[in-house]
Amino acid sequence: MSDDILSFENLTVQFGGVRACDAIDGHVKRGSLFALIGPNGAGKTTLVNAISGVYKPLPGAQVQFHPAGKPTEDLLSYRPFQIARLGVARTFQNLGLFMGENVLTNLLLGRYIHEHTRLIEGGLFTRRAVKRELAARQAIERVVDLLDLGTFKREPVGDLPYGVQKRVEFGRVLAMEPELLMLDEPMAGMSVDEKQDMIRYIYAAQDELDMTVFLIEHDMGVVMSIADHVMVLDFGQKIAEGTPAEMQQDERVIAAYLGTEMAEN
Amino acid sequence: MTAVENPPSQQDSTTYRPSTVRRLLPFAIAAVVPFILGSTTENVNFWWKALITVVVLAVVARMAWVWTPRGELTHREDMRLWRTPSDRSWAAVTTFGLLVLPFILASDFTPPMDFPWATWFAVVNLVLIFAMGAAAFNLLVGYSGQISLAHVAFLALGSIVGGIVGVQWSGGNMWVALPAAALAGAVVGAISGLPALRLKHLYLLLATFGFHFVMMLVWREYLQEYFGFVGIRFKGENSPRIASWLHWLPGIDPDDNGEFIITGQFRWYWVLMPITVLSILFMVNVVRTREGRAFAAVRDRDVSASLLGINVARSKLLAFALSSAVVSMSGVLASFYIGSRGEDSFNVQTVLNYAIIIVVGGFSSIQGAIFGSAFFWFLPEWFKWAREELWIVRDIDFLSDYPSEIDLAIKGFLVVIILMFKPDGLAGLWKDVKGWIGRSLARRGP
Repeated sequence: MSDDILSFENLTVQFGGVRACDAIDGHVKRGSLFALIGPNGAGKTTLVNAISGVYKPLPGAQVQFHPAGKPTEDLLSYRPFQIARLGVARTFQNLGLFMGENVLTNLLLGRYIHEHTRLIEGGLFTRRAVKRELAARQAIERVVDLLDLGTFKREPVGDLPYGVQKRVEFGRVLAMEPELLMLDEPMAGMSVDEKQDMIRYIYAAQDELDMTVFLIEHDMGVVMSIADHVMVLDFGQKIAEGTPAEMQQDERVIAAYLGTEMAEN
Repeated sequence: MTAVENPPSQQDSTTYRPSTVRRLLPFAIAAVVPFILGSTTENVNFWWKALITVVVLAVVARMAWVWTPRGELTHREDMRLWRTPSDRSWAAVTTFGLLVLPFILASDFTPPMDFPWATWFAVVNLVLIFAMGAAAFNLLVGYSGQISLAHVAFLALGSIVGGIVGVQWSGGNMWVALPAAALAGAVVGAISGLPALRLKHLYLLLATFGFHFVMMLVWREYLQEYFGFVGIRFKGENSPRIASWLHWLPGIDPDDNGEFIITGQFRWYWVLMPITVLSILFMVNVVRTREGRAFAAVRDRDVSASLLGINVARSKLLAFALSSAVVSMSGVLASFYIGSRGEDSFNVQTVLNYAIIIVVGGFSSIQGAIFGSAFFWFLPEWFKWAREELWIVRDIDFLSDYPSEIDLAIKGFLVVIILMFKPDGLAGLWKDVKGWIGRSLARRGP
């Protein structure tokens, strides 16, 4: 238990009569790459939304976050912005970027929780505000270098190609320096080259920046090659969990992905 | 500006770092020359002054253009408000323009065709007051995305605070009333923003409109309790003045009775211009630092803003508080400048006027608020002149029979045209023009 960074138990999210997530248990090991897979509508994004505080799960659920060197936090008692400040960051499947703002502004917003410039300090542009702005700028410049975003810095995000937008959003959560990084389909709609780049970036986040990665992904090939631990959802139920190799052999997983009849053949 | 891996030798040729003296020199010249021009009001012909002005403008712009850091900028240089050569040129020109303007307007120059010279000073001062209020309004409505109609309510709050602190307590002390109004505006503004935590768009608009009427009630009660139906007099014995211990300052020559009263357009300009410029700079700085970025994030997507660790409720209330504080201050200034405030000084029409200003000027652009208020005040003056003097227009009786209606109709028509063809307003137009000038200069330059 002690090497878990996140554990959730009996997590149920209900919309009207539909159980998008039904009593799901899970543990994410510190420093690992945890992948959540499943067909469309399996409840993957709902699970991430429940952990990051956007949806409220039904009573009886438990979501615990174990930051390194700090006491365990019960995430259900916090609001989303507090959860983000505890060190849980996430990206969105359909991009949560601010399209009218340029890349720098978007990335600097990732530093919001770290450099605390107050409104009046910022307005007077005091020495301290300048120092903090510079610190934020230096932090995001590292991200810019890591993700090769240098040429786009002053472009409005809305004008950039989709693959670059995905990278900017990834950069923004990296700038937050979270302990737990939840990526909701970071490679959706990308070409093979872009996917390989993204895998490189995820590895960099995990190894160099010491983040635990919680990944939702559709591409089985990608998941099998990079994940340490895989959880499979289908219709809101957890149907299997284990190492990627085990999952490839699991009949329920094959059935969920390929349909029952083909699995029988 | 871009990160290019040039060999060091090549890098040196593109990198240029002017010394601090060079960086500041154009601004220093721009700041000093108007006072030299102003001190020689009597003995130099207007046209000579105009010529000197144009020459100085060109020189200052060119110097600011050339002496701008170039090449790979450090992060600190990249953070500067005036970063590019064109930004710095325009900043120097604007500094010069703001300082030279009162001297030009105070001169006894008579333009051809009876162009109304004397009234323009009053218009410029009104533009300054309105620009401050409109910039704050735009910060809230355009930049933070919180649609509010409570703008005039805060102008009224400014008048109330001006009445209590500036007239009843201290007899014409506007200097105390200003910070007091900012404080009151921030507190009341945060309260008026509470509906924004639950409501958005049209519903928020209606809720803040309700606040407008509540404030009007407060205003009327206050007026009748202490001042009766005459209204508050901010003129005469209540005019703001410079305290006697500050009379040693240059340019402050006390009147015969030993007091320096802020009265007349020229003196008011020197009060209004610095306050407006400083408050607009304050808002510009807020917008480009942490909390300002959070305003934009909350406007665009509040869910993703909250997942970045932004307390959306706090950010919204902060936007309301900041905007209302500045608007209340502009309310105090307007009260003392106009000189009296009565029962019918505040109406719904004024909210619409501010809406016209920010739509025409450019939504969510603080610069746009300045252009918008200039447009709003200069256009009627120009129409009036055209009706009376312009050779074909003055013969059309219809135009002079319904002057204010036609002004409004033309304004409305222009708003529609701008919304259709230039949705980012005059600020967007200005950006295009600036880009065009910059490109043609760059083409010719080395």
